[in-house]
Amino acid sequence: MVMGILVRKLGHFIRRNLGQFLAATAVVIGGIMVYISMNTAYYNLSQSQSLFYKENNFADYYLQVVKAPEEVVRQISAVEGVKQVTGRIQKDLAIFKPNDERATARLVSFSLPMDNELNRITLDQGRLFASTQGGSYVETVVDPQFAPANHLNWGDSIGVVVDGKEKLLTIVGSASSPEFIYPIKDTSNILPDPLNFGIFMVEQQQAQQLLGMQGQINQILLEFTPGADQQQVVAGVEEILRSYGVVASYGRKYQISHAVLQGKLDGIGSVAIYLPVIFLAIAAGIQMIILRRMIRIQRTQIGVMKALGYDNLQIIFHYTCYAWAVSILGAIVGIILGTILAGGISELFAQYFNLPGGLKTFDIRTIQNGLVLSVVIGTFAGIAGSLGVLRIQPAESMRPEPPPSTGQSFLEKWSFLWSRLSPQWKMTWRNIGRNRGRFVVTMSGVIFAVCLLIMAFFYNDVVDYMLKKFFYEGETYNITVRFNTLINDNELININHLDGVQKIEPFIEMPVKIYFRDRSADEVLLAYPEDMTMKKLQDESGKLIKVPSDGIVINQRTAEKLGIKVGDKVEVETMLPYGPTHKDTIQIVGDTQQLFGGGSYINLDRANRLLQESHAVSGAMLNVDTGKEAAVEEQLNKMLAIASVTDREKEIRNFNESLGVVTSFVSILVLFAILLGFAIVYNASVINFAERRRELASLRVIGFTIGEISSLIFKENLVLMIFGIMLGMPVGKWLVKSYVESVSTDQFSLPVVIYPTTYLFAAIGGIIFVIVAHRFAVKGIKDLDMVSALKSTD
Amino acid sequence: MERKVLMRLDRVTKTYDMGEIKVEALKETSLDIFDGEMLVILGPSGSGKSTLLNIMGGMDSPTSGLVIFGDKNITAGGEDVLTQYRRNQVGFVFQFYNLIPDLTARENVELASELVKNPLPIDDILKEVGLNERMDHFPSQMSGGEQQRISIARAVIKNPRLLLCDEPTGALDYETGKLILALLKKINQETGCTVILITHNIAIGAMGDRVARMRSGHIVEITENLNPISPEGIEW
Repeated sequence: MVMGILVRKLGHFIRRNLGQFLAATAVVIGGIMVYISMNTAYYNLSQSQSLFYKENNFADYYLQVVKAPEEVVRQISAVEGVKQVTGRIQKDLAIFKPNDERATARLVSFSLPMDNELNRITLDQGRLFASTQGGSYVETVVDPQFAPANHLNWGDSIGVVVDGKEKLLTIVGSASSPEFIYPIKDTSNILPDPLNFGIFMVEQQQAQQLLGMQGQINQILLEFTPGADQQQVVAGVEEILRSYGVVASYGRKYQISHAVLQGKLDGIGSVAIYLPVIFLAIAAGIQMIILRRMIRIQRTQIGVMKALGYDNLQIIFHYTCYAWAVSILGAIVGIILGTILAGGISELFAQYFNLPGGLKTFDIRTIQNGLVLSVVIGTFAGIAGSLGVLRIQPAESMRPEPPPSTGQSFLEKWSFLWSRLSPQWKMTWRNIGRNRGRFVVTMSGVIFAVCLLIMAFFYNDVVDYMLKKFFYEGETYNITVRFNTLINDNELININHLDGVQKIEPFIEMPVKIYFRDRSADEVLLAYPEDMTMKKLQDESGKLIKVPSDGIVINQRTAEKLGIKVGDKVEVETMLPYGPTHKDTIQIVGDTQQLFGGGSYINLDRANRLLQESHAVSGAMLNVDTGKEAAVEEQLNKMLAIASVTDREKEIRNFNESLGVVTSFVSILVLFAILLGFAIVYNASVINFAERRRELASLRVIGFTIGEISSLIFKENLVLMIFGIMLGMPVGKWLVKSYVESVSTDQFSLPVVIYPTTYLFAAIGGIIFVIVAHRFAVKGIKDLDMVSALKSTD
Repeated sequence: MERKVLMRLDRVTKTYDMGEIKVEALKETSLDIFDGEMLVILGPSGSGKSTLLNIMGGMDSPTSGLVIFGDKNITAGGEDVLTQYRRNQVGFVFQFYNLIPDLTARENVELASELVKNPLPIDDILKEVGLNERMDHFPSQMSGGEQQRISIARAVIKNPRLLLCDEPTGALDYETGKLILALLKKINQETGCTVILITHNIAIGAMGDRVARMRSGHIVEITENLNPISPEGIEW
């Protein structure tokens, strides 16, 4: 009964101060919405990922050999700790596309039936390749992006180059697989490029026949027995395969598609935690401010309640109910909106990540956690905000409160400055000084909102920066060609003679294994001539990297993996998929970290010495006359030894197209930032206005205009705005930096580049939400009733 | 002697709409206020005297009737006219002082002086109200009497034509109250500023040039005081 009346009292208060209640609730809604949507999306995607992995028996470990008989599979399955093993063929072939362009097909073989194999595929469209096919007719199933990107229909044939001869493959369907969620060729590519790279899945015997590898395989997939010593198992398997030339050996962690996907999922996971927590912390701050003020106004009422016999606990409970009202309403609305948003975000991300969609949009655990999180933080805010109740003595509370003691401002110590301030500014600074707690909470809100804006625009910056660095500044060539095998640089003359080719510069890209002490790692060596002009090698910060005359400039991530320091000597073993392997000892002369991908740099001559060659190259960069690119490409595509032709313009277009998701993410962040900034400034202004009604009414009586009163209140918001923006910028930069660190992976790290325009936009955003919130909060000025405000003595 | 009319209230009515019921706080009240006089308006609470003062001060508008200041109808211009009127012509003194807690005594007075083109010299005014020693104190560090002096200084610094005082001694003790009244009288005599003093304290009527008595929204009687006595001689 008694509590019922108190609840009604609270209801009255909420109705009378609805704007504030809604502002506090809006921040909670924002926090819970982010929490629910991002966590549900994260949960959905992780679920989708692990389900997909499980359904398709995604392998734990990969070993690539030059060539091995199928029987090794049986030998390997006998190794202790190996639960399952699959042997297959994986080989990159050049594609002859109908338009004569060049692209790469990664041919992967599958034994039918697939039931007991690792890395099964899931049919997406069309049908699976038949188990027995006649003659030279070979059916293939491609990855889901390849066919639409190249306008291919089921039944269409596509030519690939095998040993210099064209062989036809008939596309009968598309399928997906955990290992090709991101069909990326290698770590030097950032994004899937379905125009130039596709996965071609073929029945195993067909593949063997096609490639002339009857009875042979070149890739081993492993699944470990739970609890097995994986290192020991791998050592055992490598021992079996040693005589067949182990080209690569890596765990799932380094499987390129998995690594990219996991990195992105981790990014969402980290945003899903820290963003809502900051929101809810600020919401808690707002609730505390509202409660403290409520208790100050209701001092006499609290005195009466105490006089009537209510104890402190009951009264604190009563005020904590306000915080519960905010947090429960905020949580409910936030959960509903978050769940709605989660569907969209999950689908958007699922599309972006190429994960199977059709995900359920809610996760009851996330919803429970969101509710609990909101209520726990609300309870804390409620109790902390209403502790002032304890200090109120019934008798004393009946007398009017003594006039507020004056807030001293730190500025008063500098009398030179202080004496120049107008009385209005003095009021502002002293009011801030008196309400330091509120000012700090509000300021944190403004700072965080500005940070969010910086974060949002940072995404645009980083994309633009990478585009410029990667595609424009560093590189002046128009076309890159890669050959099927190492060729002598004399043969480049043929290309140089093509009409339109101005200049040509060779390179070698070669997979190697680097041994240091007892460790080893796979790495790609990028070999360039010292006088290279068409490509600038740059590290993360944009500093130029010089091709060393001798030795290797190693990728930092690889160096860390192996514990290598500059000056160390390492053993390098070449791992080209053709020809014999070579070993040599080379000194590490420098280290670097690139924006994308990996790779360590070496001089072209030194690479030749390592390969025991003298003029070998694996590819070349071309400068082509403007307007003649297409013609040159056409000519190049007709040359048989060429594995791929990459047009820089197309790469850029492809890169730009895949960035739609960034735009939606940026818009959502901006929306949240503005909501948060508005809510917190509005709340502070409303309280400021309410507390100073009497003071402001006096000023109206003296003859201040409405505009002058508004500008007086605005002065405080102006201080918030200026300092919030000024502090928001470095804090924003720091936040961006820590975010980038949390999402960086071996293959992928973002540079922390924030353009001046981003700071400008964030500042403009800050100015806008402060002004709009101020306008809303002081709407009541013109209704300020001078008579009644001055009569009351509260 | 022909007295100059500073302000004329012509059949002023003020009705408050309280939802179901309407309260007529002022009923067709007419009153001339003469330049330079000291007018005391007496009446019990609820008689409409504060409503009258609020309308004279431009804090409130009448429901009907005219308020003419000089030759200007201040009821006809809306909020901006009223604001300019309060700013340039009127000084207010309240029962509860209504000083700005975040400003010192001097700064409170400065705040008002900045609003007008030709304010009086601030040091002279602070000296006049006897507080030039305490001018760097905040309201919370001052007694009620001191706060009221600052409030008076804040009102007169603008050199207003009309000084409106709503129960200026209502929150003060007897001795302090008399000192405040003496100050108001002195301002009236030395600057020629018209002073209207509202009170329920009948004894104070003795210091006015005229006394208007109000009851139930009407002015029921106006008496001329040919020999107003000095505030020091008033007893209550």
